[in-house]
Amino acid sequence: MLKLNNLCKVYQTEEVETTALDNINIDIEKGEFVAIMGPSGCGKSTLLNIIGMLDSPTSGEYHFLGDEIAHANEKQLANIRKKNIGFIFQSFNLIEELTVFENVELALLYNDVPSKERKERVTRVLDKVGIAHRAKHMPSQLSGGQQQRVAVARALVAEPAMILADEPTGNLDRAQGEEVMDMLKKLNEEGSTIIMVTHSPSHADYARRTINLFDGQVVTEMYRAAE
Amino acid sequence: MFKNYILIALRNLMRNKTYSLINIGGLALGMAVFVFANVLAQYERNHDIFFEKSDRIYTLGSVFSPTANIGVKGTDGIYTTMAPLLKADLPDIEAIARTVQREYLLTMGDRNFYQGIKFVDKSLLKIFDFDYLAGNNTALDDPSGIILTESLAKKFFPGQNAIGQVLSLDHKNDLRVTAVIRDIPKNSHFISSLIINEPLEAIAPLKALNKIADYDLAGNWNNLSMGNSTYVLLPAHLDRQWLEQQANDVFERHASESIKKFTTHLVSRKIEGMNLVLWEVTGMPVLESMVVLGFLVLIIAGLNYTNLATAQALGRAKEVGLRKTMGANMGQLLTQFLVESVATAFLAMLVALAILEILIPIFNDSLGKILTLDYLTLLPSLFGLTLLVGLIAGSYPAYIITRVRPVDALKESLSRGSKGSMVRSIMIGAQFVFSVFMMAMVAVVFFQNEKVKESSEIFPKSQIVTLERLGVEDLLARNETLKQEISAISGIEWVTFSSQVPFDQSNSAFAASKNSGDFAGKIIINQIIVEYDFLKTYNIPLLSGRDFSRDIANDLQKEDSEVLNVIVNELALKKLGLPTYKDAINKVFHEVAENPKEGRILKSFVIVGVMADQNFLGLHNSVKPLIFQVNPKYYQTASIRIMGLNFTQTMAKIEAVWKKVNPDYPIQVQFLDALFEDVFKIYKSMNIALAGFAVMALTLAFIGLFGLAAFMAAGRTKEIGIRKVMGAETYQIVTLLIWQFSRPVLWALVVALPMSYFASDAYLNFFAERIKLPIILIAGSGLIAVMLSWVIVSAHAYRVSSRKPIHALRYE
Repeated sequence: MLKLNNLCKVYQTEEVETTALDNINIDIEKGEFVAIMGPSGCGKSTLLNIIGMLDSPTSGEYHFLGDEIAHANEKQLANIRKKNIGFIFQSFNLIEELTVFENVELALLYNDVPSKERKERVTRVLDKVGIAHRAKHMPSQLSGGQQQRVAVARALVAEPAMILADEPTGNLDRAQGEEVMDMLKKLNEEGSTIIMVTHSPSHADYARRTINLFDGQVVTEMYRAAE
Repeated sequence: MFKNYILIALRNLMRNKTYSLINIGGLALGMAVFVFANVLAQYERNHDIFFEKSDRIYTLGSVFSPTANIGVKGTDGIYTTMAPLLKADLPDIEAIARTVQREYLLTMGDRNFYQGIKFVDKSLLKIFDFDYLAGNNTALDDPSGIILTESLAKKFFPGQNAIGQVLSLDHKNDLRVTAVIRDIPKNSHFISSLIINEPLEAIAPLKALNKIADYDLAGNWNNLSMGNSTYVLLPAHLDRQWLEQQANDVFERHASESIKKFTTHLVSRKIEGMNLVLWEVTGMPVLESMVVLGFLVLIIAGLNYTNLATAQALGRAKEVGLRKTMGANMGQLLTQFLVESVATAFLAMLVALAILEILIPIFNDSLGKILTLDYLTLLPSLFGLTLLVGLIAGSYPAYIITRVRPVDALKESLSRGSKGSMVRSIMIGAQFVFSVFMMAMVAVVFFQNEKVKESSEIFPKSQIVTLERLGVEDLLARNETLKQEISAISGIEWVTFSSQVPFDQSNSAFAASKNSGDFAGKIIINQIIVEYDFLKTYNIPLLSGRDFSRDIANDLQKEDSEVLNVIVNELALKKLGLPTYKDAINKVFHEVAENPKEGRILKSFVIVGVMADQNFLGLHNSVKPLIFQVNPKYYQTASIRIMGLNFTQTMAKIEAVWKKVNPDYPIQVQFLDALFEDVFKIYKSMNIALAGFAVMALTLAFIGLFGLAAFMAAGRTKEIGIRKVMGAETYQIVTLLIWQFSRPVLWALVVALPMSYFASDAYLNFFAERIKLPIILIAGSGLIAVMLSWVIVSAHAYRVSSRKPIHALRYE
């Protein structure tokens, strides 16, 4: 699915140069469920953002579905992104002014899906994450767990090949967190590639493979046997 | 604490440089315009105060009855007989002096100049303490004395002592220089550009005018001329009301009923207001409009500031939340934000004053004024204005931000853009209403001016040179010779004479009727005295009939003849009720009078030619019923049509001919083009002034939109980020933002367009020939405003939306 070769990300301010990612080499196959762990500031989110093409690396190679895209421009990236990647964020990132339905529909809207098909697919995916009864509500009227389910629905609706989740359970209580993790696991079993950043070892256990980052470098990689 | 506020205020200004620049710049512009409008108004309203007794000097003017049908509300003078009557009836008056402006040819040796002279009662010198360089205030005791200003004395007698020198008037009467005064300061109504008269350069006693032109020193009830003021000096214990009351009593006692039907009463004015009397009596609120426009621009600038400051303040919700959590109370926070806005206002005022210091000298030079920023007297009002602007403009953002609940502010989950956006949209909308309105008016005025210019092209004005001031006996007698000699010059096509030329703004009219003696059925017809070749010279087409001919006796007016051949225009036929041009030839109409005087012959006119309706006066005047008639006694101007080539050479030859034929009078050359431009410049300058205000308003509105777009876009950064992650392309984001910003602008159009339409309609009604496309112009202005606002917003939207989405999603 994707392959990172000697990937580096350096943040430069007037005074200091901070290396966020230092020589990262990672291969991720189609259908994998990967958890990225590590202490705060180790570069987890930066790595996920680069994988998700929200940010560009300073140097190194990034092959996505066989294409080298490390130096592609924003327009090309946007195009690959909207066809292949779904995002779930810690803070949900729903648009406050839009209803649950409209928030989910957004991904299809920008993919030029016809209106009738959009309706069907949004209804289906809302059903799938169990939030269909709240379709007409505004995000602020929902609990955190419900909001994250909407975010998951939004990530799924365009049927991306890969889902990226940045601490999807970070803002949720234990029960709600478990719920979201179960959902991700199920999605993986249905064939989605999932890459997730998390602080929680127990949630990392849902993944088959855990990458530990420290100071911008991969320190350990651990595979878990299939259950 | 206060020091802390100011420190924070300055730090905030330094931190957001673009924002501060926009804010201070916008406010400074508004303040500069406002202060300038007021300082100028103040300047124009306070003339002549340098005269020692200025607080006791008054003038008397007349107010016309509305039924008098004069077109102006009154005049700045009174009947000439009033002054002697007032002097006799009111012993308390210290001094009273009439003035009469006349123009004469002044000659010394072989040099001639036309010069305006103010003929005055000698008591004028007791009222005004002119600055004497030679002689004193007894200079006019000599009935043939004349006072010159320093520069006029230098012009006439360069390098010589002017005192005792003799000037000859119209080659007939001599005046002797008895005093030389320093030039009148520019801030005097005696020389102001706003006054109808030529600037005061020479003063002579009325007794001299009595000798020269048989001026009636006792005065009469006949004449009221603009610019011929009567000045009154009162003792300190009497005031303007007293004078007005007493003068009206005298008027009531002495004026006949028919005079009172025309002039209802008298008014007195303080001397410092005399500068504006022309605008006052014509009812043109020029200064008032200027002050109002200046105020509007200030309001736009203030709205701008409020708008931007509100947007910016909401970005500081977190700071406010923190301060509240730390124990700051509402009052302290309000003070903090108000101190910030007042500080901004003060910086803006400094910039505004800097702008004015640069602009005022340029303005003074180009318009001959001596405006200054007198900081000593202005300081309190400038300080007050700054404080007021700072407090009023800053109060809304301060109120909005301090109302935020600390929890909400700290969470900062609220999207910044939506808060108070209604009020801000209204403010932006209001700015655009003013801007579009002003822009539309500029366009309408501009194109109407072009139309006026275009319709003036019916006369070959670029080919015509006029020689003026021929209405003197000596010159009229030599006209035939002059015509022959000039016609002989190569390159001269036509030479003709007339009482006036196109664009001369004067009306000479009489009453006429289809039936003899039918005064009730009269119409008023304008007449122009022409010579035989006038129609050819001016390309005026005849619809039927013939041009005047030297061979037909009745074409030429004679004193004792009752019948005169004339050429009329179509409108005159229509108004008189005569048949249309094809059948009008040889039809007759008659001069009529209410009470025909003994011995006066009322003429009968035979139509020999009909010309098309042409706007002889041009500009805003409507086409009037008009006749041409030939009468050499009333020629004022020679019109010479020149073939294109060797213009300078031809002019030199014309001048040589003049010198030969009329060696005793200076030639007065005027190009018809220049005459037109002279009158036209009033319209042009009006347009320039309007354009100036419009550019200000529009600039401010766009500065506002620019700033607001920046903040709104910044406030929605996160949303834009999310949309991008969802796959939105740059153009989709740009469209989204543009639409949102277009709404207040579009609403503004709904208000501004009809407003502009009605205003332009009212303006165009002033003109005889109007442009037909005000709607297109108004719509165009609206379109331009919308387009420009789109350009500004897209620039922002593009910048925000083309960045990497991670910048948008990263938390602050």
